[in-house]
Amino acid sequence: MKFNDAINTIVLTAALFFGFSSVIQAKLNVVTTTADFGALAREIGGDLVNISVLAKPTEDPHFVDAKPSYIAKLARADVLIEGGAELEMGWLPPLIDGSRNSKIALGKPGHVPCAEGLALLEVPATLDRSRGDIHAMGNPHFMTDPMNARHVAERIAAAFSAADADHNAAYRQKLDAFVKRLDEKLPAWEKEMAPFKGKRVVAYHNSWPYFAQRFGVKIDLFLEPKPGIPPTPANLASVQSDMKTQGVRVIIVEPYQNRKTAENVAQATGAAIVDVAQYPGGVKGTEGGYIELIDYLVKSIAKALKEKTDK
Amino acid sequence: MIEALNIMKWPLVACLLLPGILVYLGMHIVRREIIFVDLALAQMAALGTCLAILLGHEADSWIAYCWSLGLTLIGAAIFTLTRDVKHRVPQEALIGIIYVVAAAAGLLLLSRNPEGNEELRRTLVGEVLLVRPIEVARTFALFLGVGIIHFMFRKQFLMISFDHEQAVREGISIRLWDFCFYVLFGLVVTSFVHIGGVLLVFSYLIIPAVCATFLADSISARLAIGWIAATAGGIIGLYMSFTRDLPTGAAIVCSLGILLLLAGITSAFRRRTDSKTI
Repeated sequence: MKFNDAINTIVLTAALFFGFSSVIQAKLNVVTTTADFGALAREIGGDLVNISVLAKPTEDPHFVDAKPSYIAKLARADVLIEGGAELEMGWLPPLIDGSRNSKIALGKPGHVPCAEGLALLEVPATLDRSRGDIHAMGNPHFMTDPMNARHVAERIAAAFSAADADHNAAYRQKLDAFVKRLDEKLPAWEKEMAPFKGKRVVAYHNSWPYFAQRFGVKIDLFLEPKPGIPPTPANLASVQSDMKTQGVRVIIVEPYQNRKTAENVAQATGAAIVDVAQYPGGVKGTEGGYIELIDYLVKSIAKALKEKTDK
Repeated sequence: MIEALNIMKWPLVACLLLPGILVYLGMHIVRREIIFVDLALAQMAALGTCLAILLGHEADSWIAYCWSLGLTLIGAAIFTLTRDVKHRVPQEALIGIIYVVAAAAGLLLLSRNPEGNEELRRTLVGEVLLVRPIEVARTFALFLGVGIIHFMFRKQFLMISFDHEQAVREGISIRLWDFCFYVLFGLVVTSFVHIGGVLLVFSYLIIPAVCATFLADSISARLAIGWIAATAGGIIGLYMSFTRDLPTGAAIVCSLGILLLLAGITSAFRRRTDSKTI
């Protein structure tokens, strides 16, 4: 235990807290739960905002371990951007309570649940926990569809303008630039995926229905027997036989999922594994931002489908 | 520092108020050489919660609490009945078996339930950073009750743990008091597991008690040292957790570990100087 070190830290923390807070205050403090919202906030806020992302891009957004800095960041936040639709249900509400920040309390303009106003898929008719980790409001992994990201970007720009009216014009301008880039990209992505309309892909967890719907592929075989329940031998056997009879030979796996299970299935069926992520920075080559992420997803999935179809 | 206090206020209150009884019970546990009994009882409690979830109750409902208490009582009964078979089968072995089987049974029960993984994880690491004031108050009231019972019947409780032969000679019903001891112990462990998780419960029970055993002989001196160690470990852990942004429970566990190391070194140093003077 280095006592001097501890004293230095106290002094430094105090200096940071009291000294520099006035400098930082000029910028809007934005906290996002996941890196996809962080990337959009960066597109729209640019240098006008400070952005903190809570979950690492390689972390499962359903399970995030709370650390003191999360509460500190939330306590200073002007705007909190979350997915909503029960994505962060397990860990975010107590953190918001702990931050005692009325600006980002539920229902306040500083609290932005992005799922609001989106048409979510897989909204259950009846809520029955025995069918797995079912979300009452629908599937919360909506950001893999670029059209949903477009809507979310608009929500974020509106929230920034409301919290920082002086820079309204700048946020609008940056939003327009982002939407323009996205709209230009979309036809190219759709063209790249067009040859694979109706092709099936296996995923570990049911987090890709929005991507599948946008690009016309079917991602409807899962290594998990039910969402949130680890793969069982019986389910893996049934997935493997489906893959063999229907010629499904691409498996997508996210960073926090058990790659070994996917490797076993791939070996048994001659399938290829594609490492994917829902969050910019989750896989190498996606650090640039949201558009780079979708670019990577489309290219890598299209490439694997092409290679496995040609054979 | 104001910010630190704002964020860490309730974890700090929890770490100042709640470990007191754990330190005391830990001295019994260390003395009885049943170090892992808390893990086994905590796991039985978790198994009860798993059963409740499977029957369709919420993990934090009253019914779930009753289930976990019920399973803890079964564990307490098993430990009471097996204390005498010490000579044939070491009790530590049975404790280990109960821990492993309860953990595996929990995994089996919850393999079909998506909430299961979350619940099992929470059992292990807890959420001391996010503890709610009402939880602290409720748990403190319970611990106070247990503390009062232990104080009122301190003669019996201390004798069955620290002087087993004397208790036999005086005709104290060992079975009865053992069972009472395990029931109260189970209550305390189960409640604190919900706040701090298994790792933190284990550390608060064992580390201060072992620190004290290094440094003192009489029960009251050991208790004082144990309480000081627990309080210091909690405060240092919370401070490190805040300044270095570390997971809170693990930071407290490691602080307690470092304190034990210091106590061990002090004790070794003292023994050497003692032997020199002689």
